[in-house]
Amino acid sequence: MAGQESVAATTVLMDTDCCSSGRWQGNTLSDMRRRMVDRIATGLCWAATALVLLMLFSILFVLIRNGIGGLRWVTFVHVTLPPGQAGGLANAIVGSLIQTGLAVLIGAPVGLLVGIYLAEFTSTDGRLINLVRFVSDLLLSAPSILVGLFIYMVVVVPTGHFSGLAGALALSILVVPVVVRTTEDMLRLVPLSMREAAIALGAPRWRVILFVCLRAARDGVATGILLALARVSGETAPLLFTSLGNMNWSVSPAAPMASLPVTIYQYAGAAYADWTALAWTGALLITAGILMINITVRLGLGRNRK
Amino acid sequence: MTVVEKNPAPAAISVRNLDFYYGANHALKNISIDFPQGQVTGMIGPSGCGKSTLLRVLNRMYDLYPGQRATGEVIFDGCNILGPRVNLNVLRSRVGMVFQKPTPFPMSIYDNIAFGVRLHERLDRAAMDGRVEDVLRRVALWPEVRDRLHDSAAALSGGQQQRLCIARTIATRPEVVLLDEPTSALDPVSTARIEELLDELKADFTIAIVTHNLQQAARCADQVAFFYMGEVVEVDGADRMFTAPREKRTQDYITGRFG
Repeated sequence: MAGQESVAATTVLMDTDCCSSGRWQGNTLSDMRRRMVDRIATGLCWAATALVLLMLFSILFVLIRNGIGGLRWVTFVHVTLPPGQAGGLANAIVGSLIQTGLAVLIGAPVGLLVGIYLAEFTSTDGRLINLVRFVSDLLLSAPSILVGLFIYMVVVVPTGHFSGLAGALALSILVVPVVVRTTEDMLRLVPLSMREAAIALGAPRWRVILFVCLRAARDGVATGILLALARVSGETAPLLFTSLGNMNWSVSPAAPMASLPVTIYQYAGAAYADWTALAWTGALLITAGILMINITVRLGLGRNRK
Repeated sequence: MTVVEKNPAPAAISVRNLDFYYGANHALKNISIDFPQGQVTGMIGPSGCGKSTLLRVLNRMYDLYPGQRATGEVIFDGCNILGPRVNLNVLRSRVGMVFQKPTPFPMSIYDNIAFGVRLHERLDRAAMDGRVEDVLRRVALWPEVRDRLHDSAAALSGGQQQRLCIARTIATRPEVVLLDEPTSALDPVSTARIEELLDELKADFTIAIVTHNLQQAARCADQVAFFYMGEVVEVDGADRMFTAPREKRTQDYITGRFG
């Protein structure tokens, strides 16, 4: 886009300011080469953009083509059934909602508090702050299957069974670093002068943080939590060893719980056509959900910028 | 050399032998100055001479930053506020501060004022409404905002925001109001309104204002202090300071020879 604009700007300059001296026309060899390089670079930018868009839309297209057939009432109200029995995805949809919801409920407050610590308690030992930030960033890029194995070791093995709660805990570990980073970044955008102004009124620190800083950063912090939700709603690996999946209707966090990503994982590799079709529909549902979260974030940010 | 002119009004704040350090940087050197009650003290001098630093000592703002420390005495209401047992939140409610850049909080106009009041007093709804209206009238903002008290303060103009910040500061009923270049980010009309406001406010508050605008100091201040390189060079009545300064450095500064 930027490349296109600058090309347009150059063209306008040449058209309007073109004078008879030929100063703007660029007749020399180096001018010609410069313009050629510009065209090639612009062309490459366009090609790369087109490639990315093509991939994105081909994924969406395939998802819709293969998944839309499964968007029937029965998919939403019926649980997964053995092949050939016209089952749905109700248990997986509800399981996903419960587990991602719980994950955000557990992970977001922790992430929020750590983010506040990193951004606001700068007068404490800098090495500790840097260490916490480093660990949080490590967690951000940790392979999610490791997180699943970790919860398997500390929750599933001691309790003796897989559970929705274990799945939610695994997801919440992925929520924390995302929320930490966005909360810290957003709080750092709050100008120091605003903090000083609140302190100058005689406000204790907790009030300054809670009622002034967090309030100023509110939209950004909420965005971070939504993005974390979007991130974990598509996670499969952390759930494989924790909530396992469940063919039956179950909303108890203490029992194994179905989820869309795990169901997709199981169904997509199956040899039964109706299972594969449901896997496509599940994939479409997750994509639509994540897309909706991202659009919400965009709209929220747009409103904020006005 | 430090000259402290005898001023008939009793001092609201007395600074005695104050030294201030930013780490190893000796920013204020053995400062002594009185802020007479009910008067406006203007503080002038080139950038980095310590004017703002002194303001930030008077409400202990510097406490927020490790590595900054003050020695000496600042007597306010009979006690040395540099002492370790001073309740900073109470001190800051009695010595309010207005900053260079308007800093409305991300809340409504009403809540901007109520925020500070709620920190120190429990008022019922009617009393709070009354307080908000009162301070907004005092800063001449009431007619402009009376119909949108619950709208965001961020929508106000820069001058309005700064008057709101002054209203917010006086709403906690401080005895002293510190202003750190309050008009340097404002247009001339807004500046004039704030200067008028200072004149009215000094009936109830002791005011200390840092300014780079010498005309502003001459217009608003009863007493003017000239700072240079971390020292108070001269303190005198505004009329005398600008017509017959005693110190050569003061004269050079106010005639524009440096700074």
